[in-house]
Amino acid sequence: METLLRVTDLSRSFGGHPALSEVNLCLERGEVLGLLGPNGAGKTTCLRLLGGMLAPTSGRIEIQGIDLARRPLEAKRHLGYLPERPPLYPELRVDEYLTFCARLHRIPRRRIAESIDEVKHRCGLDDSGRRLIAKLSKGYRQRLGIAQAILHQPRLLILDEPTEGLDPFQMRELRALIRELARDCGVILSSHLLPEVQAVCDRAVILDQGRIRFNDYLANDKPIFGWRVRLGSGSRLVQLTDLPCLEGAVGIGEDRYRVILMDNADSAELSRQILQAGLDLRELVPEHTDLERAFFDLIGVEGVT
Amino acid sequence: MIGAIVGRELRGGLVTPLPWILLGAGQVVLAWIFLRVIEDFSGLGADERVASLTQELALNLFGFAAVIAMLAAPLMAMRMLSGEFREGSYQLIEAAPVRLAEVAIGKFLGLALLMTPFCLLPAVNLLMLAGAAELDVGQVAAATLGLWLATLLFCAIGLYASSLTDQPGASVFVAFGILLLFSIVGRAESLTDRTLSLFGWLSWNEHLFWFLLGAVRLSDLAYFIFFTGVFLVLTHRRLANRRLQ
Repeated sequence: METLLRVTDLSRSFGGHPALSEVNLCLERGEVLGLLGPNGAGKTTCLRLLGGMLAPTSGRIEIQGIDLARRPLEAKRHLGYLPERPPLYPELRVDEYLTFCARLHRIPRRRIAESIDEVKHRCGLDDSGRRLIAKLSKGYRQRLGIAQAILHQPRLLILDEPTEGLDPFQMRELRALIRELARDCGVILSSHLLPEVQAVCDRAVILDQGRIRFNDYLANDKPIFGWRVRLGSGSRLVQLTDLPCLEGAVGIGEDRYRVILMDNADSAELSRQILQAGLDLRELVPEHTDLERAFFDLIGVEGVT
Repeated sequence: MIGAIVGRELRGGLVTPLPWILLGAGQVVLAWIFLRVIEDFSGLGADERVASLTQELALNLFGFAAVIAMLAAPLMAMRMLSGEFREGSYQLIEAAPVRLAEVAIGKFLGLALLMTPFCLLPAVNLLMLAGAAELDVGQVAAATLGLWLATLLFCAIGLYASSLTDQPGASVFVAFGILLLFSIVGRAESLTDRTLSLFGWLSWNEHLFWFLLGAVRLSDLAYFIFFTGVFLVLTHRRLANRRLQ
């Protein structure tokens, strides 16, 4: 495996307030990494640091072994970046804009037209070359933002909330595009949407208050991990742990519990036993993913779900 | 790379109404001044004339054009950096393998090229007199050069102010403040010893005056080039500091 990005002890403060602390990351070729976290967790700061738009307070970023702080021009040649809001010029036409982007990324003149045609085809902008950017819909602007990021065939692609503003059909197309791009490069994307990360990423990193709280590979074929149970008010954990079908139970909030069933038990058995024990069953929800569990456990916002 | 940035600024600038309004409104005002000067000059007898027609026209037409350029340059410059910071399009340049010096020079040249047609307007107005009156072509050329150099200085100041804030409106006020300071600083000379002409030297209008009289002095050239360079360097520093903020 080829390491495209190596981040070592990356920290960034804004006026004494730490926005990102001691982040360590590696990204291999062919890997899609999802950056998750609540608002203000440091996702955009992290991506802006990786894009060379912010200087780190301490730490080191290497893109293809090139230090971004010492040799920014060389490192940025391998980088494609889509910010949260696509960086477009409304007064230009799509082709004019992409030509400008191609020249910024130092694509040789003879290859510019060919690169633009290819990227327009990939992003579904074939018929939009003459259209004014100001007249494009939000979805098409997002596509154009992605087009500029992949125009120069970067080895590392950074996408900040790439599905923002896309309809479900476009989202599905974008997922396919990201998977296709990941064959030749590494992709880092940030998102608020857990299913989105689950669907497209190989690995997820959860940031909270500027620190990495979770960094693991995702496996989509994992079985149901457990069940989340909400009981009537005044319930106690011990009432649940007494049930014979349960292997274990932990409290995760007021009248909320996470339980793991015995191998031979199922949800029907659990609900029956809860009712027989004289408890009110308000909710019984399967926990399908490690990611969702990890996210809510780490961020501690179970109560608002 | 500089060429790509200049090209984008020109393309982006020409599709906005501002340069066209500047040219149109500027021409109306200059034409009115032009006619007033011609009328006043032709109404005087030969013995009442204290200056030649070229001098009268140069001082009035080019002097007023410089004031218009001073007001217009910050307005044209505000969208170049400040507007891009606000719209987020500057991130495209930040993430691209481009040197900040190339960005500052590219933006400045784009702005200078957008302002150049306006600098030629007074000379174009004077062309109407070709054949009808004897004009001092050398003086007109010197005045045009002076106006262009002063406009370059205004552009550099406008660009620097544009790099200071994400609010284009605020950047215009900052630029007007700096330009106002450079315009009135010469008046401070009356407060000091006449031999100490530092304040007078700092004022742009003192230097433009010599160009309008037809004298291209090295010290005046150096003044405009030096301060244009200073504000471009400050713009570069400001862009570099954005990464640290």
